[in-house]
Amino acid sequence: MKGTHVDLGLDVKERNGWAVLSVQGEVDVYTAPQFREQLIQLVDQGQRSILVDLEGVEFLDSTGLGVLVGGLKRVRSHDGDLALVCTQRRILKVLEITGLTKVFTIHESVDAAVGANGKG
Amino acid sequence: MDRVVELEIPARPEFVGIARMAVGALAGIRPGLAYERIDDLRIVVSEACTSAIEVLGREGRLRLRCIDGPKTLEVRIEAPGAAFESAFPTGHPGPDVDSFRISLIRALVDDAELRSSPGRTELCLVVHREAASDGDGGLPA
Repeated sequence: MKGTHVDLGLDVKERNGWAVLSVQGEVDVYTAPQFREQLIQLVDQGQRSILVDLEGVEFLDSTGLGVLVGGLKRVRSHDGDLALVCTQRRILKVLEITGLTKVFTIHESVDAAVGANGKG
Repeated sequence: MDRVVELEIPARPEFVGIARMAVGALAGIRPGLAYERIDDLRIVVSEACTSAIEVLGREGRLRLRCIDGPKTLEVRIEAPGAAFESAFPTGHPGPDVDSFRISLIRALVDDAELRSSPGRTELCLVVHREAASDGDGGLPA
């Protein structure tokens, strides 16, 4: 499925038991509601292993971090997990400053993540 | 010589990207700020504008005044009322987003100061350039 917002692209694929949500563009106060809604929808659909691929993200601020943390809390309340794919220094820096590198499992690639899940 | 660029935007989410794009573009004109530092400044501008928008409830306008000097780039964001509450809380910060915002602002600019006057507040953000420029900016010949 594709997002419609001009500044944000959202694409969901299934990989080895994971719902892989690829995010492209800028995540800020304007685009975050669409991102949040997508994560809520995935959990409501019964997805319990969610992988958010941030490799296409050009900008992420605290609003976007709030969406990620909200998604993690939501899926964990259903005994699931939400992990990230991120190698971009600019995004990792934001995660490090806010202490979220200790909260999320961060993978170097989607392939590494879905292999690490052990469902394939 | 300082160069001043002013921008006024409606306090609405769809204009935050315009504010950070303008500040980022201005920051890159004069040498002395690495791309990573410009990116840091864009994040902090986004945090500040978002903080104000949340408090103002999408009403009012934000005025950005960018003072581009040889040694520093200063961004002053002025808004009605106590618009930067979540960026500079008077009490304890709320969980999650508020505390992330404070952490990012503190970490990513060299100086951040809140100035209040009756009916208005101004958040002043400063980044230092790494070396004095030639004063006119632009790329070296």
